[in-house]
Amino acid sequence: MKKAVIIFIVAALVIAAAILWLMSSSGNFKPSDITSYAVIILVVGFALFIGFKKLSSARKGEPVEDEMSKKVMRKTAAYSYYISLYLWLALMYISDKVDYEVHTVIGAGILGMALVFTICWLVFNFRGVRNE
Amino acid sequence: MNNRIKELRARYNLTQDDLAKRVNVRRETIVFLEKNKYNPSLKLAHDIASVFESRIEDVFIFD
Repeated sequence: MKKAVIIFIVAALVIAAAILWLMSSSGNFKPSDITSYAVIILVVGFALFIGFKKLSSARKGEPVEDEMSKKVMRKTAAYSYYISLYLWLALMYISDKVDYEVHTVIGAGILGMALVFTICWLVFNFRGVRNE
Repeated sequence: MNNRIKELRARYNLTQDDLAKRVNVRRETIVFLEKNKYNPSLKLAHDIASVFESRIEDVFIFD
């Protein structure tokens, strides 16, 4: 229950930050901005999905976390960390070739990491985690 | 690793929810176990076998 509340608070903060960013951009949208908003919406949507799932488990009297969900989370964290290393490597290579501002590259890296985590979780949660 | 959870659950007239509550996991975990998409820990395998009054090797079949 406590974890679900934390997820909702973080999601609300991200939405508030995205709205502030949207208001400060004064309607001048570049394709990279639209991509960033789309990724933010996707990641926040994923966080809300997890939050509601935890909440419904708590309401049904089920444990919010059990050994399988913990294992899925551990495997997701391990794989997404590993993939993120390559993502940052790719971003460093791209930032040398294309003239992007530093904060754009860092923002893309952070959003990319969140996206990689979301995709890994979806893969392991629906494919299952066997001891291979 | 295969298992006979679905068969034994039907024999004992238990729903996935009932079994999940008895072994203190989420229903989703039972779904994944029945589809052979998740290999349980020794403790969970022992708890499930206890519910069916069987031994672990009678519930979980190692290839």
